[in-house]
Parts: sequence; C-alpha cells; structure tokens
Amino acid sequence: MGIAKKFRQIFSTVPMLGWFLGILTAVLIEYYWGYDYISYYLGLPKIPVLFGALIMLKEPVMIPGALAYDLIVYVIPVLLVAKISSVFTNPGAALLEKLPLWLSAVIHLVCFYAILHLWAGINDYRVLVVKLTLVSIILTVSVNVINGYQGEFSCSHPGFMALGAYVSSILTLMLFTNDKIFGAALLPPGLGPFLFPLVLLAGGAAAAIGSLAVAIPSFRTRGDYLAIISLAFMFIVKSAIENLNIIGGARGMGGQPDLAPLPVIFFWTLLCIWVIHNFVTSILGKALNTVRDDEAAAESMTVKTRKTKMTAFMFGAFWAGIAGGLFAHVLTYINPGMFSINRLAEILAMVYFGGLNSIVGSIVGAVSINVLGEALRPLELFKWIIIPLILIFVMIFRPYGLISFTEINAKKLLEAKHKRQQGVSP
Amino acid sequence: MRKIAVLTVVAFSVAMFFSSLAFAARKTIIKIGINAPLTGDIPKVGEGTKYAAQMWLEDIEKAGGLEVGGKKYDVELVIEDNESKAESAVKANTKMISQDDVLAIIGPQSSKQAVPAGEVANKYKTVMISPWSTNPDTTLDRPYVFRGCFLDPFQGPVVANFITDEFGFTKAAVLYDVASDYPKGLAEVFKDAWEAKHGEGSVVAYESFTTKDTDFSSQLTKIVKSGAQVLFTPQYYNEVPLIVRQAKDLGWEGPIVGSDSWGSAELVELCGEACHGLFFSSHYAAAGAKGDTKAFIDRYEKTYGYTPDDVAALTWDSLQLAQQAIQDAGKLTGRIEKDREAVRDALTRIENFDGITGKMTFTEEGDPIKCAVIVKINNQGEFEFYSSSCP
Repeated sequence: MGIAKKFRQIFSTVPMLGWFLGILTAVLIEYYWGYDYISYYLGLPKIPVLFGALIMLKEPVMIPGALAYDLIVYVIPVLLVAKISSVFTNPGAALLEKLPLWLSAVIHLVCFYAILHLWAGINDYRVLVVKLTLVSIILTVSVNVINGYQGEFSCSHPGFMALGAYVSSILTLMLFTNDKIFGAALLPPGLGPFLFPLVLLAGGAAAAIGSLAVAIPSFRTRGDYLAIISLAFMFIVKSAIENLNIIGGARGMGGQPDLAPLPVIFFWTLLCIWVIHNFVTSILGKALNTVRDDEAAAESMTVKTRKTKMTAFMFGAFWAGIAGGLFAHVLTYINPGMFSINRLAEILAMVYFGGLNSIVGSIVGAVSINVLGEALRPLELFKWIIIPLILIFVMIFRPYGLISFTEINAKKLLEAKHKRQQGVSP
Repeated sequence: MRKIAVLTVVAFSVAMFFSSLAFAARKTIIKIGINAPLTGDIPKVGEGTKYAAQMWLEDIEKAGGLEVGGKKYDVELVIEDNESKAESAVKANTKMISQDDVLAIIGPQSSKQAVPAGEVANKYKTVMISPWSTNPDTTLDRPYVFRGCFLDPFQGPVVANFITDEFGFTKAAVLYDVASDYPKGLAEVFKDAWEAKHGEGSVVAYESFTTKDTDFSSQLTKIVKSGAQVLFTPQYYNEVPLIVRQAKDLGWEGPIVGSDSWGSAELVELCGEACHGLFFSSHYAAAGAKGDTKAFIDRYEKTYGYTPDDVAALTWDSLQLAQQAIQDAGKLTGRIEKDREAVRDALTRIENFDGITGKMTFTEEGDPIKCAVIVKINNQGEFEFYSSSCP
C-alpha cells in the first residue's frame, strides 16, 4: 500500500489539464513512432490496438512486448509529462478557474475530444469501438433515468431503441438515398449531415410517443407489473417490425448513409449527458427521487406523481430512440432481431454494473462492459464466463453498482492543484 | 523512486529478450480472416467453420506455405468470434481488416451478420466470401463480396419441381418461422414457384410461427385438415425434429420436405427415426460421396468425430476459392491494398471452379452458379444423395 500512497501523493499536484497534456504526448508518440519504431523493435506485428489486450490473449509470447509497449508509449510519458508539466499546467488551470465553469468545461472537453480523435484515428477498429461505446453510454444514461432515478424496472429499452432506429433509418433512406424500398432521394444527399439532427430527433420523438403505450396503462401499477408490461412492449415492437414487409420485415433494413462519424456521436453523447444531468438535478428530478422513495409521501407533499413518472419515462425513451438512430447509422444495417432480449440483458448489465442513480456510474458501466467485451474477444466462450462472474461479484460486494448515488463535482475535477491546498485537503 | 526505476529497467530487458524471439514478425504473411459464430445461437455452425478452416490450414502448412508467383508464403488464420450478433460481426471484420491486415475474409455465415459485415468489407475493399448466406443483399452492389452457396430464388423452385416430379402432388402446405429471415424468404419463394406450377390456391395451408416456439399443434392441425399432400418446412435443424414429431402425432402421413437448413449433423441425433425417409434440398450429400468430397468427409470424420455438415463443406470450398484467387493474382506486392484488389480481380475471373459442393462460376454480382442436391435421410440416418438439379 505504501507505493500506492506515495504514488498518489506525488501526482496529487497534477490538474486535469496536466493529465490531458500527458495523454496527448502519449498519443503523439504512438502516432509518429508507434508503428515504425516502438512496436517494430518490440517484435509486435502492429500497434497494439486496445493497449495490447487482444494480442496478449491471442499470443502469450507477445505479452512482454505488449506490456513494454504500454509502458513506453503510455505509462511513462503520461506520468512524466503530467508531473513535469504541472509547473505550468497548474497556473493554466488557475487561469481557467477564473472563467465561468461552463466555459472551462467546454475547453476541457474540446481538449479531450481532440485527444480521443487522434487516438482513435490511428486505427479504424478503435473508431468503431469508440463509436459503439458512446452509443452505449447514451443508452445506459437514459435507462438510468427510469431504472435508477425513477426506481422502476423497465424492460422496454430495446423496443424504444428499435423505434428510434427504424424511424430515423426510414427518414434517411427516404430523404437522402436512392433506395429500393422508398425510391429516389427526395432531397439532395448533401443536405444529409445538416438535417441528420432533425432525423434523430424524429426517431427520439417516435420512441417517446411509443413509450406512452407502456406508461399509460402501467403507471397505475408498480414494480413487477411494469416489468412485465414493458417486456411485452419490447416483444410487440419486435414482432410488429418482423411482420411489416414494407420496411424489410425479419430481413432487416440496410444501406443507411454514413451520417454518424465520431464527432457527431461525441456531440450527441455530450448533449445527452448534459441534458439528463440537468433533468435529474432539476426540481422535476428531485420530485422523481421522492416518488421512488415513497410515492404516498410525495403525493401528500404536492408532487404530481403520475405526471412526474410519465415525463421521466418519456424522457428516458426519447434518448433511447436517439441512441437507436445513431446505432443504425453506425452499423448501416438494422434488423428486428437486434432489439431483443439479448440487447436488454446487455443494457441492464451496463446500468447495474456501473451504478444506479448516477450518471458517472452509467458512463463507467457502459465503457467497462464495452471495453471488456472487446478486450476479451480472443477468449471466445470463456468471455461469457468471465464477464458474468465479474457482474456477480459486483452485485455481491456493491449491490447498487460500482459508483451509485454519487456524482463527480466538475468544479473540483477541473481546478488547479496547488501545493498549498494539499495541507487543507489531503 | 529507485525501486520504480529498477523495475522499469528489468521489465525492459525481459521485453527485449522475448521480443527477439518473435522478431521475424514483419515479413509478408498471407492472413485469412474467419468470421464465425463460435458463441451465441448457432455455435455448431461456428464450430464447423472453424474445423474446416483448420483442416485447410493443415494442408497449406504441410505444403510448406502457399505458393504465389513462384514464392512460398506463410499462411495464418485469424479466427474471430461474431457471437452471432450483427454489430459484433461488423467489429470483427473491421478489426481483421484494419488491425490484422487480412488478405481475404471467409464468413460470416448467417445473413443477418453477413449483410452488415459485407458493407464493411466492401468499404475497405477487402474480399469477403460468405459460405452460407442466402440473402441477396449480402452481395448486391458490392464488388468485393462473394458467396459460396446458391440463392433462395433458385432453391425454392428446385424443391417445388422435385416434389412435383417425384410424387406428382398438386396440393402443398408450408410451415415457417415468420420472425427469421431465411425461412420466411424461402417459404415465399417456394409458394410462388408452387403456385406458378399448379395454379392459384394450390398452397392450401401457409402457416407461420415465431422463433423459439416449440408447440406447433394449432398450425399442424390446420395443415392436416387442409388436405395438403406434402408439407414443406424450411426450418433449422433444432426446430425440424419438433415439427416432424408433432406432425406425426397429429396424424400427418404425407412426406415432409425441407431445405438446406436441415443439413446439420445434429438433425438426425435430435430427430431419430421420425426423420428417416424425408427429403431436403442441400449443397452436398455426405453419404455416397465420391472423389474429393469423400476425401474431405473422411478426413473430417477422422479428425473431429462426426460427419461434416454443409456449412463445413461450403467453408472449405470458399477457402479453396480464396486460395485459388490468391494464387491466380500472380504475385504479392506486400502492399495490402494492392494485393486485396488483385485477389478480387482474380476471384471474378475464376470459371468452373471444381469444389466439393459442385462446380461454380461467379456471376457479375458475386453469386455462384451451381447445382442443388436433393438429399434423402436414409434408414441409417445418413444424408444420402438422391438427385441433383442444375440451373
């Protein structure tokens, strides 16, 4: 424990900006020297794509090489640069502190995105993994509104996602492509990227309207009944699409234009996190928590419980629809089988793994399940033993998920870490 | 701090030592990607794919590598699990193309993965051969995507013609899964073909169910009462035994005919004697095979302990196709984009390729023109060649 403590002490003076600078250095090293020099002299066939996890599991003889690569490219530069640069990143952070918090946060996020873009851009496989992870984040955060903040157990998220995916796909296919189902493009394809937000919003709106079908009959009941009704809704959506031959039926629908590059998805993910954060910290969000904890008491304190629940449910469904639309345009193919019980299991695993009632928890859950799923890919069948085992252990030791009922303080996260402050708060 | 520094130095020296063992990493190796459902709904299909690929690799290794343009290259298989999920198949393809630098990809098998994965392969200009996918969209407008099997619009009429010629029936019933893309498509094609032959309304019962249903008695009762003479059910090997048994229990006496999805090693195991004497259309027949086909079957049986199903045979043929295309490409430049294009061009030029599932030539779309086989399940439970039908 001594080393960990010392480590924390040494790096406690590094502000967020310093870490960004360190990671940027690492990514630049990988970008310029990763393939030609570092991985070559370590005997690796290529730049290890996910920090070497894939190559280590596939060919154990590469383990030392991959670890050395991680050390040279990531660990040492990040730590060194972060520590050394804290001399000038701390004053920089202090300068940013004087700005309004939102501006400082935006500056930090732009830096973060630039680094992410550079890192992912080294390999298209990374881009795809990052894209699908971001879509998972939207999904998980949105399901957390219902299953976490509202405290219900809703199983209809794949259904909402399917509605969003299908509505937005139909719109883009109809408007921007020459499709065999919908005929020639109604609008010039060049307009696609500009109108895509509207298309996504339409998908989200469709999901929100669809959610009324669950909400109206089921919010007279609680608990198990909602779970059953919402599960039924999911199957109804799936079967309905399977039987609608005009949109491809069970064969699915393909050929969506590629309107969802990384920046677009990143933007929507940020928007989703920001809006949902504001929602759950608003008066309505607080009311939602009271409804979860004691509905009768909330009612007596003038909370309109029914309206609150409906709004939150529709809100969660809306973002699931957005996620579905993005998902469809990342894969450029959808079929109803994708939005079934398997997807539900995946979504619920992410949300309960990460933590209920916490946006940070949802992000952690979505990222870890996605990255684990990719990193353990070479293990094939054993992957499906390891991931559930991890989930079981999380459920035993942290029944509400890894990070539940807490939120990270953005101001504290971004502030300068001066030496003198250390004495105050160790 | 000193401890950390010492540790780092030790780690480096170990890494350098090991890496010298793996040094020859960057010479040109021919890598073939296999995108197979090793886990998920249809693991047996994934297993057959993997085994066929490993047998192929064995052959290449025995020959000391693959000879292209007078030079021998080492061959490596990159086997990725697509979990029987579309997005996972897309990820697997992207990874194999951008990370592993594969020259060609074999798979995915099911259409629901092959359609989106084909989009990726085409985008990155890498040859992909799906051995088993029958959805027209897989290869449609994709110059880099090919397939190893015939399409449903060909298979449906083959079955309809076979029943008419063999039994002389005029009234048929169809039972299919409306939620699954392959059975549904084939049921429609069969209905059209049958009605074109015997007139409107000659399909007297057209009944459907949904994936994972296990009780078909209401549909089968209707079928029995409809006066149909033959039942066509293009279902997968895990559903066929249930359908056949329940039909017999409900008093169905006519023949039951199926499609290539019946052709799995597990069908007879699950179905037992109830399935003996039934017919289905397929890509090849294991019992009574001759020549190369027999050699393949015997070898597979000896190594893995069971008769290969059509997925394994089609995968084998797809690999042979890929191999021939690579050899026909003339020479490898080592620049992967150029080599991939050369392989594609060579693949389109292949004519009358002699595979174990029949002779094939590719059409403009990348679909093969090849014969279908009608298989009879004989009284030993083996898949026996009965007749064949060519376009």
